[in-house]
Amino acid sequence: MELSEYVQRGCQMLADPGCFDLGAFALLLRAAFRSLLEARADEAALDHPDLKHIDPMVLKHSHAALATCILEAGKQKADKSTLSTCLEDCKFDRERIELFCTEYQKNKISLEILLGSIGRCPLLITDVSWRLQYQIKTNQLHKLYRPSYLVTLNVEKEDSVSHPDISFNCTMEQLQDLVGKLKDAAKSLERATQI
Amino acid sequence: MEEADRILIHSLRQAGSAIPEDVQSLRAFTAELAVAAVVGCLQVLRPSLSSGLTPHLPPGMSARFRLGMSLAQACSDLGYPRELGYQSFLYPSEPDLRQLLLFLAERLPPDPAQESTQPSVGESAILLQAIGARVRELLAEPWVPPALRPQKHQDHVRPKALHVQPFILPNAKSLQDASEVQEFQGGPLVAPAPAQIPCRAGRVASFLEEHGAQLHELPEGDSTRDADKAHRRHLAPRLVEQLRQSWGQAVSSTSGVPAPGRDLGELLCGWGPGSGEPRGKGSRFTHAEKFTFAQEEEATHVPPLAPAEVPSLLSPLSPSHLEQELRAGQEAELASLQDHLELMGRSIKEAGATVKRLTLSTGQVEAEAQQAWLSTTEREQARRLKRRAVDLLPDAPSNLAKLQVVVEASAQRVIHLASQWERHRVPLLAEYRALKKRRDQRELESSHKAAELQVLQECVCAAAAEARRKEGLYKQLVAELDTLPGDMARSAYTHRILEIVGSIRKQKEEITKILSDTKLLQKEINALTGKLDRTFAVTDELVFKDAKKDDSVRKAYKYLAALHENCSQLIQTIEDTGTILREVRDLEEQIETETGKKTLSNLEKILEDYRAVRQENAGLLGRVHEA
Repeated sequence: MELSEYVQRGCQMLADPGCFDLGAFALLLRAAFRSLLEARADEAALDHPDLKHIDPMVLKHSHAALATCILEAGKQKADKSTLSTCLEDCKFDRERIELFCTEYQKNKISLEILLGSIGRCPLLITDVSWRLQYQIKTNQLHKLYRPSYLVTLNVEKEDSVSHPDISFNCTMEQLQDLVGKLKDAAKSLERATQI
Repeated sequence: MEEADRILIHSLRQAGSAIPEDVQSLRAFTAELAVAAVVGCLQVLRPSLSSGLTPHLPPGMSARFRLGMSLAQACSDLGYPRELGYQSFLYPSEPDLRQLLLFLAERLPPDPAQESTQPSVGESAILLQAIGARVRELLAEPWVPPALRPQKHQDHVRPKALHVQPFILPNAKSLQDASEVQEFQGGPLVAPAPAQIPCRAGRVASFLEEHGAQLHELPEGDSTRDADKAHRRHLAPRLVEQLRQSWGQAVSSTSGVPAPGRDLGELLCGWGPGSGEPRGKGSRFTHAEKFTFAQEEEATHVPPLAPAEVPSLLSPLSPSHLEQELRAGQEAELASLQDHLELMGRSIKEAGATVKRLTLSTGQVEAEAQQAWLSTTEREQARRLKRRAVDLLPDAPSNLAKLQVVVEASAQRVIHLASQWERHRVPLLAEYRALKKRRDQRELESSHKAAELQVLQECVCAAAAEARRKEGLYKQLVAELDTLPGDMARSAYTHRILEIVGSIRKQKEEITKILSDTKLLQKEINALTGKLDRTFAVTDELVFKDAKKDDSVRKAYKYLAALHENCSQLIQTIEDTGTILREVRDLEEQIETETGKKTLSNLEKILEDYRAVRQENAGLLGRVHEA
């Protein structure tokens, strides 16, 4: 786990017992987790009376650094040994590392949920239904005699939002093209598993 | 057999049995090793079944017996066709053990490391493997309707699009920032960094983005703020240049008569996007302004017109002349007022200049007065001194003596003070020097220590970096190592197998040669038998024909028949001998195998075991009775 210089500086300030005693550290740690995991970040998170004596610049810097550190750990799925090596690099002592690890374990699942919710995933297709129609003629052409497919892809319905099913009309060549592409995709997936 | 044993032992080692390196064939297997090997195989094949089995032989006879029985049971459960008892493990005979271990080794799952034919190189290969494994896992998962799906992470929160915003990150200990910036960032106006972005997902994404940018040190700066700053810095000279140009144009076009409201138009035209282009294609503002200028230039000759009227003047069909006149009047008034204003402004400027001049002269006069006063006080002092001297003149000698005394006394006092000062000064000076020296020394020491500290810190950093690098290297090497030995063993095995196949082919050739020899021999024998039969038949017929006539011939015939019979008997005997010999050989082989099985000694051992178990039981019973 690699941390930027800004974050490292913030963490080193946190590790300094002259700057933050253990109680203040625990308070700030909890505030950092809360401010990340709660839907509305509390602007007054740092207005605790026990944190009053600390320089607000240092406080804010450390807060931001701690939040970044937590997120980075969640992103890397860091285990305890990785975390403690990383924090030892920032001159954390044993007690603080222990505190950080327990707090991290406590919030790990919600952190993972939060990180997993960033970005969007494509729709899941669960079923397909199709109809074959035969066009004899159109307004422009007197005789056409061509088959065409009406395909409907059923999309997995989530309870909160339902996406409409995807339906389209295509000729035989287009359908063959689609099928070929799908086969290609399946094959590449297969190949990826065989490495 | 040696080769086969070695392969077998290798596969047993891979299954996790601790077989010493010096054991190269099954002949060297002790009971301990046999049990360990079988338990190792069973642990791979039936993890649930072998949980109660230990690879080490227990000391008690009954416990040994139980272990052997459970091993035998497990092996026959796996489908081992032969008979197995506890003695097969405790007193292993080589062929039986080979059969059993071959049976188990065939059932071992293939080594996954050996499966991968492509040796992995580098971290990207490891990553690809991880991706492949994950995809395989996902492919193996069956589809479940969303309602039945176990609550997974993604289902709690709806996914949100990635959206990133910059933060205001307070930076303590940054020296470049002015104190106002620090005050602002530390103050209540700037919320703590997470609270700056209301949306949760956006907050998280922004943090990660910010950190990524910090890590990679983007050339534009570490965030968008810096990019903005740089852009602004770049823009500023251009803006100033534009303003200056537009100002120059304004001055040249208005012939020195400043008009209110014109500067704004000029400025705005300068700000506009088409400022560099010729006027003709300018904005509406430019047009309006142009009209104003034209009208002002005409103002000296013709009655001025309102700018709003200009478009209507251009079109000859204007509606009302009355209104036009009114407007003209207003415009004239406006122009006169502007003139007036201009006049007033000029007079104010003149007055200002006068005031400035007057202030300057006042300052001069004040300085002169000060000088005069100073010279006056000087002269006054001189006068007072002279006055004292004149007062003392009448009684000059006595006064002179008095003065002399006073001078003497003051000289004495001065000397006294000087000596006193010297007395105080010397120790202080010495002390000062000593302190200075000590301070210098300390400074030197501290600088030395600081340098040492820095060196140490660098060492620590370097060591940490080295350690990290080596760890990474170690991981990579371990990953590579996993794939290597399997491959080597594989190639060695294929080599050996090929050799074995070659020797088998040679043996097969020999066998076919012997077979063809046998066949040839058989054919010869057959041919000889046929010839004999035919010869005998012909002789028999000839002799039989003559036998009716001649008595001696009859005798000869009898002999012939006897000869034939005896010969066939002889052949039969030889054949029987061959069969018996073969049987003997078979039996010898059988005896050998039976002796190989060491049945008798095994039986004795088993009897001994039986006795030991009985003894143990008797001891236990005795103890029970005692209890």
